[in-house]
Amino acid sequence: MKFPRPRRILLYALLILFAFAFILPFWTCITTSLKTNQDVKSTVPVEPPTSPTLEPWMEALNIMEKPLLNSLTFTLLATIFSCFIGSINGYVLSKIRFKGSDMVFLFFAIGIFIPYQIVLIPLVLTMSRLGLYNSIEGLILTHTAYGIPVCTLLFRNFYKEIPDSLIMAAKTDGAGTWTIYRRILLPLSSAPFVVTGVLQFTSIWNDFLFGLVLARGTEALPASVALANLKGTTTAFWNVQMAGALWYALPVVVVYLILGKYLIKGYMAGAVKG
Amino acid sequence: MVKVVIKNLTKKFGEVIAVKNLDLDIKDKEFFILLGPSGCGKSTALLCIAGLIKPDEGEIWLDNKLVTSPEHDVQVPPQEREVAMVFQDYALYPHMTVYQNIAFPLEVRKKSKGEIEKGVKATAELLGIPRLLDRKPKQLSGGQRQRVALGRAIVREPKIFLMDEPLANLDAKLRVRMRIELKKLHQKLGTTTVYVTHDQVEAMSIGDRVAVLKDGVLQQVSTPKELYDAPRNIFVAGFIGSPAMNMLEGNLVKKNETLMIDLEVSMFELPTWAEEKMKEAKESKVILGFRPEHISLAKKYQKNAIEAKVDMLELIGRELHVHLTAGECSFVAITMPTEDVKVGENVWMVLDEEKIHIFDEKTGEALI
Amino acid sequence: MKENVIALLVLLPSVLLVGYFVYVSIGWNVVVSLSDWKGLEPSYTIIGFGRYAELFHDPVFWISLKNNLLLILLFVPSSLLVGLFLAILLDMKVREEGIFRTIYLLPFAISFVITASLWAWMYDPEVGVINILLEKVGLGFLKTGWVSDPTIAIYCVILALTWQFSGYTMLIFLAGIRSIPESQVMAAEVDGAYGFSLYRRIIIPQLKSSALAAFVVLMVFALKGFDFIYVLTGGGPGGWSTDVLPLEMFKETFSKTHFAYGAAYATVLFMIVMIIVVPYLYMSSRRKEQ
Repeated sequence: MKFPRPRRILLYALLILFAFAFILPFWTCITTSLKTNQDVKSTVPVEPPTSPTLEPWMEALNIMEKPLLNSLTFTLLATIFSCFIGSINGYVLSKIRFKGSDMVFLFFAIGIFIPYQIVLIPLVLTMSRLGLYNSIEGLILTHTAYGIPVCTLLFRNFYKEIPDSLIMAAKTDGAGTWTIYRRILLPLSSAPFVVTGVLQFTSIWNDFLFGLVLARGTEALPASVALANLKGTTTAFWNVQMAGALWYALPVVVVYLILGKYLIKGYMAGAVKG
Repeated sequence: MVKVVIKNLTKKFGEVIAVKNLDLDIKDKEFFILLGPSGCGKSTALLCIAGLIKPDEGEIWLDNKLVTSPEHDVQVPPQEREVAMVFQDYALYPHMTVYQNIAFPLEVRKKSKGEIEKGVKATAELLGIPRLLDRKPKQLSGGQRQRVALGRAIVREPKIFLMDEPLANLDAKLRVRMRIELKKLHQKLGTTTVYVTHDQVEAMSIGDRVAVLKDGVLQQVSTPKELYDAPRNIFVAGFIGSPAMNMLEGNLVKKNETLMIDLEVSMFELPTWAEEKMKEAKESKVILGFRPEHISLAKKYQKNAIEAKVDMLELIGRELHVHLTAGECSFVAITMPTEDVKVGENVWMVLDEEKIHIFDEKTGEALI
Repeated sequence: MKENVIALLVLLPSVLLVGYFVYVSIGWNVVVSLSDWKGLEPSYTIIGFGRYAELFHDPVFWISLKNNLLLILLFVPSSLLVGLFLAILLDMKVREEGIFRTIYLLPFAISFVITASLWAWMYDPEVGVINILLEKVGLGFLKTGWVSDPTIAIYCVILALTWQFSGYTMLIFLAGIRSIPESQVMAAEVDGAYGFSLYRRIIIPQLKSSALAAFVVLMVFALKGFDFIYVLTGGGPGGWSTDVLPLEMFKETFSKTHFAYGAAYATVLFMIVMIIVVPYLYMSSRRKEQ
């Protein structure tokens, strides 16, 4: 839709205006994280630092190092677990027709929509009874369990797109259920693994509620909760907080940078024509 | 001796009966065809033979072994049936090369590397695709993919081949070529084959015997020639042969000791041989059937000829298809291109009386 | 059939896990809400619906509910509108579409803890960028306390959340617009529709299903969103000006250890969410069958 020139200028003006509004918070975040305490008080947030320093970054890292490692650990493990479980569940629900497979699917699907407030109290009780309160293992278990429904959904939908004739061919060729999964479905699953993996990584990494409720103690403190704690304190000034936020954002950004193009490729491909 | 015996096979999907009380006796080394329009149950029957679908009732015997019987709780899984299947969409494993695709059935059965290599290479030679072994399916043309699918089926030397409309996705010329090659392959390997198609030309061309199905019910099992010359009901008569058999409704009446059919547009006296067969018939509604190539066109009235007006002419190279109407009925006649006939003309259709068919209007069954 | 057995075995652990962590837990929570558990020692004496009665007489509950409703009434439509607007802008065959799209999507990809920290920083009355910029462009009279001002804090929260979610709604609408066949747009143009009326009469009416999907997601968030508000305002200032049901549930349960009361909060919240989600799921599965 081509518009005459003045309209085109208006269009770009609007786009840039909004882009400015959307980027502003991030820009001030980055500039602030590089300022000394002096700078923060004396300069406008939008301005770059007069004497840039990595001090805030170091200080933030000091505070956040253990939480970041914690988050990395349970996020990676829970992502891997929930993706694999989702994959075999998806396979079974999409390719093996048995009575009640739709019911089971619905059973999982509902789990995706519930507000987690409703399970917090039982969760705390469960974790403490299992001795997993304030532990990374507890967080892994929690995030895996609550990640299973959405991973199952994603994989099932993907596997439904693979023609049944492929499975039938493998069966007549002599392949059993597990062989079919291992040698036919799995090699074709790179796209859903990337998509589901990134999704799970992001949502588990960004999780705050479960971390807050289950691991406020020091042992298993997730980075999200640590960052929130930074805000409350008077010891961490704005520049340290911003630096902390950037440290926290880093892994997700890296994941998107590395896997982003695979994500897109995965969406584009998916052509499983024999 | 690999026979396939099917008894009383029935399969329902919810309310729909896909296959109803099917009985088939497929002989050793036979190239047996299941023919019918879509939804007639032929693919369902094939999948039952493969063991990929469990029927509701019936028995299936492969090579004298009972492999399917819901009543006796027998359902041998497809992996153990020694059948090989070729699918309409070829179902090639997209992430494997041609070599790996063909090798797969042997690998799964834990054959040695040497055996696998030998088998794959031999099969590729047989099908003329040895140079394609390193390619992936998406790099192949339709015809090449088809051959790979065949190769995957052949390589394990199964007892039975099952083919589900394998040529349907190929363009017309390729289809004709491939079906000849398939038949030649069958002659070479001699494996009992059950082949599903909706294309009656294909069935007639390569089948040893053809089973015609409609709505899950077996209509007739015969050689192609028999199906063409002696269809047992209206459906088979109309399905086999193109252009389709012409059909005219009429009343069977007895006039002065001779049997005639009152066709409204004219009276048709039955030839002697027909009268012999219909001796016992009562007066009833019947359908007179005659194939387009059994009509000759005359300019003047002859006994038993049917008057009709020429509607349209189709010159198809070797033949001239003449479309005619008589009253509310349309007909097609096939004549030589040199035939002197014009649109709008009134002509008389003279039927080859040796080749007429008469069907009971109510049951559709052939009376002669 | 052996295959069926394998299927069930594969699904069993997941079914048990999900069954316990979701369904059993929901039931457990309801039981707790009917008990008299207060304090650190669990108590399971069933009292009945007393907690709920307490809830409905509690002004804080109503304030929180009101804030949730404000979110629904303001945050949801504004996110949809901004997203729609951005989607239309981006549909105009802009060469740099990819860049703009990434920029608009950025907030949505970032964790709430981060964005809440960012906005806390921006809203700071003394050193925050908003007030400082307003001063610099001569609009100094518009300066306020933003999230430290109880009367407008909730609206500041809504603004920030709109910023966060507009990229998501934009993506949904963009996909919806792009799914309209080019031929239809061309036919409309030949018929004489162009520019604004083209959008108003041809394109926007066809975005209903996209809008509905986004609508439900936003609604559910408006009800259960916790992270952002907790970090930005903690429910204050002034006690409850930005308080919402999930926040109150958390405070009652984990700060005040009124477990039964908190459980009642959670149950009410759960019911409200289900009232929205279940009909939508039902409708969309119906539509899939068609």
